[in-house]
Amino acid sequence: MLDAIASVGRQTLDSLAGMGKALLVLLNAIIGKPTPKKSAPLLLQQMHVVGVKSLLIIIVSGLFIGMVLALQGYTILVDYGAEQSLGPMVALSLLRELGPVVTALLFAGRAGSALTAEIGLMKATEQLSSLEMMAVDPLRRVIAPRFWAGLISMPMLALIFSAVGIYGGYMVGVQWLGVDDGAFWSVMQSSVDWYDDLLNGIIKSVVFAFVVTWIALYKGYNSTPTSAGISSATTSTVVTASLAVLGLDFVLTALMFGG
Amino acid sequence: MEALVDIKQVDFAHGQRQIYRQLSLQVPRGKIVAVMGPSGIGKTTLLRLIGGQLRPQQGQIEFAGHNIPTLSRSALYQVRQRMSMLFQSGALFTDMSVYENVAFPLREHSNLPESMIRSIVLMKLQAVGLRGARDLMPAELSGGMARRAALARAIALDPELIMYDEPFAGQDPISMGVLVKLIKDLNDSLGLTSIIVTHDVDEVMSIADYAYIIADQQVVAKGTPAELAQVDNALVKQFMGGEADGPVAFHYPADDYAQDLLARGAAVTGSSK
Amino acid sequence: MESRKTQLTVGIFVIIAALALAFLAFKAASNSATTSGETYRIYAKFDNIGSLKVRSPVKVGGVVVGRVTSISLDGEYYEPLVEMTISSQFDEFSETSSVSVLTSGLLGEQYLGLQPGFIDDSVGMLKDGDYITDTKSALVLEQLIGQFLFSQGNE
Repeated sequence: MLDAIASVGRQTLDSLAGMGKALLVLLNAIIGKPTPKKSAPLLLQQMHVVGVKSLLIIIVSGLFIGMVLALQGYTILVDYGAEQSLGPMVALSLLRELGPVVTALLFAGRAGSALTAEIGLMKATEQLSSLEMMAVDPLRRVIAPRFWAGLISMPMLALIFSAVGIYGGYMVGVQWLGVDDGAFWSVMQSSVDWYDDLLNGIIKSVVFAFVVTWIALYKGYNSTPTSAGISSATTSTVVTASLAVLGLDFVLTALMFGG
Repeated sequence: MEALVDIKQVDFAHGQRQIYRQLSLQVPRGKIVAVMGPSGIGKTTLLRLIGGQLRPQQGQIEFAGHNIPTLSRSALYQVRQRMSMLFQSGALFTDMSVYENVAFPLREHSNLPESMIRSIVLMKLQAVGLRGARDLMPAELSGGMARRAALARAIALDPELIMYDEPFAGQDPISMGVLVKLIKDLNDSLGLTSIIVTHDVDEVMSIADYAYIIADQQVVAKGTPAELAQVDNALVKQFMGGEADGPVAFHYPADDYAQDLLARGAAVTGSSK
Repeated sequence: MESRKTQLTVGIFVIIAALALAFLAFKAASNSATTSGETYRIYAKFDNIGSLKVRSPVKVGGVVVGRVTSISLDGEYYEPLVEMTISSQFDEFSETSSVSVLTSGLLGEQYLGLQPGFIDDSVGMLKDGDYITDTKSALVLEQLIGQFLFSQGNE
């Protein structure tokens, strides 16, 4: 029993040490010697893969989540005669919580798993080794552009998610359930703050973007180069990244809105 | 004869497993050197040691006078531009066309204008007979073609040394013949030095100038193909002749067969009581 | 060709994100003009501030002119001291102005209502760091009920 606990502890420490080491290596690759001429096209290509291709799922999910929020919120608020608070309720839920968190979870599933699988496969087919033998640093050539693309794309996706979600809430709340148009927007405006809500939401999603992209790349880079290894790395990316996002979300929320 | 690669008394262990002990071998400049041995004795590891992807616990690995294990990262990257490696799978970048794959090292390491890159790429592709396949993606190539495309990429920067990792594995006789001829021709026409790691004895013996046989963590035989044919060593004979049993046993080490069967029977009857 | 298409789609992606940001910033959120730009601070002491919070609005006749920026207890008697940051656009409040803790609607949030005082040659204008002396505290429901019951008993 004690052995089991000790082994859990040891594994945790080992994996933390491994991830820390990987972080240092990664930072080194990211910060070291920027070469805009070569890295800009790579970044653009990865933003296409990571960002543009996640756009559809983000927009559709955002729209539906906004609509559901409005529908659920209305049935609760109408009992208190406070249906005019529907606007701020939808907007605040999206900006503070659902936008960053759901985007991060969807991103982990859509783009994170793909990143892990891609890098794992590149490792298995010796493409990473072959880069190294061609005197090209795979961290700089393969990992860094994907990392930046994830870090930039996810907050953008979160913004789109929230905006689309608010529009979905507007469609259901105002056009279907008959909340007053003017009140919906003006009450929303007076209770949603630019700094407190919008900016904090963006900060959240930048942190999530960092964590999710990093986990995805780390898992791919350290996967066992076999088909079983890659599939388990992919699963592990989604699970680890989702848990990390939810855990961090609590910490960040406590820091930002708790005090 | 000047050695381009000089490996002196190298010890290398992968985790708990000792792979080389006091291994020494030389690769003379301009020659084709074959490194052979039974599966699983770390032939690929040897190439990775020369390329500096792995570091030995002890010993020196010199490439053109540079001791690879002691080089700094940037110096290592400088040296790597002078060597290239053909991986077993070809390791073509799957998201680029054949043309872009061959152009890749040129784009990374030179500032040549696009027109010049195009000429070089077409020349290299012509050399391996794939000029017409330049727009195909790696997934559309057969195994032999993928390996030839990778070879074109390997010679794009005109390296001094090419290391082939099992170039003949899993090839049909025709593409095997094509590859054997290509390796020989490239070596002679470009003045390359080649190291071929393989266990396809007949193919490599037809083109190698010199060969090493590695087993039991060491070089067990070396010499020109003619000399090796005369070596009076049971293991070398088994390997060169491709015999099923000999010093390299057919069976993985195990308990006595009859004992094992009886013990198993006893265990079953024991449990049924 | 390939890279041109990539550039185009990424460009569209960036534009959509920028539009989303603009929509959120201007349509959904108040761009809190009162706390950006030129501001000045004034102070007021209350007996009871109710559930007034930092960042609660300061309104004149329902129009937001500033926000509460800090709440602390001050002096020997621990009186609640409220610091308000007011936009410099509105710098013509006289020293006779009064401020009260009000509630928006029956269950709404509490805010500060600023009532501009009369303007006369003898009274000056509120400047940065000044105190408003005329304050009305929040209505506390329990006290109201208590008072009501007390007055009922007197009759």
